[in-house]
Amino acid sequence: MRNYVLVPEALVVATAVVVLLLGRFARRGVWRAYLPQATALVVLVALGVELWAGATLATYFGGALIQDRFALFVKAAALLTAAVALAATDWTAEDSLHFGLAMPLLAAFGAMVAASAGDLLGLWAGLELAAACSVVLVSLRRPDLGLRLLVLGGLASALVLVGLAFLYAHVGNPDLAAVRSSFLNHEGTVVLALPVLLLLSGLAVRASVAPFHVGTVPVGLGASPLGAGLVMGLVAVAAAVVALKLAAALVPVPELYAPYGQVLAALAMVGGGAAALAVRSPRPRMAYLAVSQVGWIAAGLSTHFQSGIAGSLFLLGAFAVAATCGPAVLGRAEGGEPAIHGFGAVRPVRAAGLALAMLSLAGAPPLAGFFGELAVASALAQSGSYWLIGLGALGSILGVAACVGTLRAMFIQSPLEESRRGAAAPLPAVTALSTAGAVALCVVVAGYGVFGYPIMGLAVQGAEALGLR
Amino acid sequence: MTLASIVFQTSPTPAPVPGSNIFSSPILLSVLLWVPVVVAVAIAVMPNPRGRYDLLMKQIAFFTNLGVVAVMFIAYNQFENFLPTAQYEEKLAWLPSIGVTYHLGVDGPGIVMLLMSGLVGIAAVLASLGVRERVRAYFCLLLLTESAVNGAIVARDMFVLILFWAAAAVPIALLILGWGGPRRNVAAWNLVGFWGVGTAALGIGTLALYGATGGQSFDMDTLLKVNAVTPRIQIAVSLVMIVAAATRLPLFPLHGWVRDVLGEAPVGVAVIVAGASGRLGAFLLLRTVIAAMPAAGHILSPLLAALAALTVAFAGLSALRTADIRHAGAYLSMVPGGITVLGFAAASPLGIAGSVLSLFTGGLAAALIVGVSATLAERAQSRSLFVLSGLAPRMPNVAWLLTIAAFALLGVPILASYSAQVMTFFGAFKTQPIGAFAVAAGLAITAIALAVLLRRVLFGAPNSQAPGVSDASLGETWYLGLLAGALLWVGLFPGGPKIPGTDFPLFDPGLMNQMAAGVSDMTAPYVQPTPTP
Repeated sequence: MRNYVLVPEALVVATAVVVLLLGRFARRGVWRAYLPQATALVVLVALGVELWAGATLATYFGGALIQDRFALFVKAAALLTAAVALAATDWTAEDSLHFGLAMPLLAAFGAMVAASAGDLLGLWAGLELAAACSVVLVSLRRPDLGLRLLVLGGLASALVLVGLAFLYAHVGNPDLAAVRSSFLNHEGTVVLALPVLLLLSGLAVRASVAPFHVGTVPVGLGASPLGAGLVMGLVAVAAAVVALKLAAALVPVPELYAPYGQVLAALAMVGGGAAALAVRSPRPRMAYLAVSQVGWIAAGLSTHFQSGIAGSLFLLGAFAVAATCGPAVLGRAEGGEPAIHGFGAVRPVRAAGLALAMLSLAGAPPLAGFFGELAVASALAQSGSYWLIGLGALGSILGVAACVGTLRAMFIQSPLEESRRGAAAPLPAVTALSTAGAVALCVVVAGYGVFGYPIMGLAVQGAEALGLR
Repeated sequence: MTLASIVFQTSPTPAPVPGSNIFSSPILLSVLLWVPVVVAVAIAVMPNPRGRYDLLMKQIAFFTNLGVVAVMFIAYNQFENFLPTAQYEEKLAWLPSIGVTYHLGVDGPGIVMLLMSGLVGIAAVLASLGVRERVRAYFCLLLLTESAVNGAIVARDMFVLILFWAAAAVPIALLILGWGGPRRNVAAWNLVGFWGVGTAALGIGTLALYGATGGQSFDMDTLLKVNAVTPRIQIAVSLVMIVAAATRLPLFPLHGWVRDVLGEAPVGVAVIVAGASGRLGAFLLLRTVIAAMPAAGHILSPLLAALAALTVAFAGLSALRTADIRHAGAYLSMVPGGITVLGFAAASPLGIAGSVLSLFTGGLAAALIVGVSATLAERAQSRSLFVLSGLAPRMPNVAWLLTIAAFALLGVPILASYSAQVMTFFGAFKTQPIGAFAVAAGLAITAIALAVLLRRVLFGAPNSQAPGVSDASLGETWYLGLLAGALLWVGLFPGGPKIPGTDFPLFDPGLMNQMAAGVSDMTAPYVQPTPTP
């Protein structure tokens, strides 16, 4: 069984390479219409293998990769997200089929590497791989924004590297277990906390936590639908995973950075909700809702005990699917709010997927995000942070109000004449097939809470695996 | 074990009356809750080229509601009113790591609320038969709303309660935005804003209780155990819960959504919001403050009495000065909520029992006044009270129903609200005399407002400049008649007709007896100690 644990990673990377090679050497053929679904199927197989073999606890490459429950949870979430995103994307709205298929796979691989990383290098490598994939997808449509993202990512990367380098210098060992055991014997000091704050700031840029989202959100908005989903979703997930693992390793420091984390979380939750209400276009609205939900994840992280981290992890799974796949199902209906007028009548399944993803990001019941946010809120209640719960609730109310506006545009207003004419024309095969992916998105977002028992149980085990109580 | 055998598994308890145990199920409440959701999803995915099956969708929604109410009546009929505990309980672990269970159940007040919600649900569907645009989406959202309301009633876990409590807001807001009047945008945002604040308050209060009780469980049996937390926490949580309840019931000063929502919403939606959804606020107060935190209930009872008095007085005065009949109906629908809260403020067994009964009667009365106002405005083609005049001869059915609605609000004998108001006032005059007098004064203002309204609209001189009027259609008469009939039924004939060949009434043992199950336990901490010689 031990040998099968790395099969998902191998499958994902091999598929990405094959897809890229096909793009280089076999550009034509009817099979292209079925390539996204075939790729999604391979990812689903990888997910199946992960769920079957991933329960095995093992270490690889001299401790560089660790398979534990935390890794199992994150890897399963990343694979599920990638599979649904690939299946649900309207590929006629993407700039390149092959890059569009390969980059989410590699970004998911990056998140998987970060999740099972046993040392600082693995964390950094996983995060940077995921971020690099988003730069590629953004650059395909808007090279200027790609460059901006690259520069911004460079800044974030520098902050993260400075923080990691300091940790390494302080401990003398890049191994996370060594970092943890070393810090267990130290009191938290301001000198120790400052580099950690730099590290967290870099991660906050990657995860688009307010106020650091001002750089990444506009970049994501200029990309293709899937590119935007990657920036808002999988890259943020990879950053959050790194933050979760580091938070567990830096045991004495949290008292020093927890207030910082709480302020960031509060800003993100309220600011994201307010900004979502202020804009009208669906894509920016979704981006700001994602910012708001990342704030909830940060709030859970700032509690720094098992139930808080477990709540954050549980919410992370819901966030990954909704934030990555939401923009992807939007497809060609880009632009302002008029573009989605009557979307429910023209493309009912895609509209349902988009609606559920947005509502989940806003934390509306009874969807995935609601369960995750309430899990975090219960941890915050245990730690007595009622002010943070109040602000989070305010952010969620603003988010739900924003969603109601979009739902009205999609399901109540009449479609534009050109949309109606477009709906009458037969869909390209690749778009028609992606409807099945939109159905899968609806099922995942609606079913996440219903099957919360095993999922939350795994999240709790994941938090335990990080050594928290 | 097949699904059918689970659904139709018979209860082991012996049949106390003929007709009992014809049908019993361990998932009875889930059936009530989820069947409308499943039907809503089915309607949403049903092919409907060019609206060909619009009528079929209306019929499906109606018969779904009818089926749900039939199941509710079975639940009512088989309810064991000598048991103080929750019945028809379903309990499944959901998120055990944070103590969430899928826990449903009903006690006496719950069954009363459920029955009222079912009747209002049918009335809402009947009131919506005139919808012509986007029929599929309308009935889909209406069924989801009904399910959310019923879910909040039967929830026995605070997490589940929050889930359903919050879930009602989105479909109602969409119904208003899609099918509402000219000011629908303002109405929908008001609703989302006020109800959102209420949901946040409920969430914070629940999490505070969760934290205070050790963070092990969201189950009401744990969180709402009598005096489970210190009096200081009880007061803090109760204040938050009062805010949550006040946004939903609504109570002054958190009533800001009422005029626009009930004035602009389509008739069926207004009926369900005023009738069933609004009563959830009072139900929450009963569950969380009155039943679970008697120390806070005693201390905060003057505040509740003040809120009740302000609400009733505000509603009466606003109805008196408005020039829009739908706004008048909206304001008047606040009156039963004020009376319910007065009963809670009484902090006496009689007052609380009156309040529980007024959950049923107040819901029906509020739905009736809002529904009849909206129907009258539609049929008379005007909402302006300067235009509407002397309509009684031309719309006799609506005239009768408006009169019954006015009587129901004022608690005139023969209507069920009479019993509720008598119990509430008798309970309150002893413990909250100032509050009770203030509410009575507010009720007097309401009576004046109603008298002015009836005189002007029904019995004044006909306005020759007014647009043409017509009486209520058959569907409208049926839905309004259903609400009025239910009020008369409980007021006059609570047991219903006897089953042929037996001595047992159909609805034996009567609503008030069914309601009493659990109420005696809730009111036990409020019993005045008997002075010893």
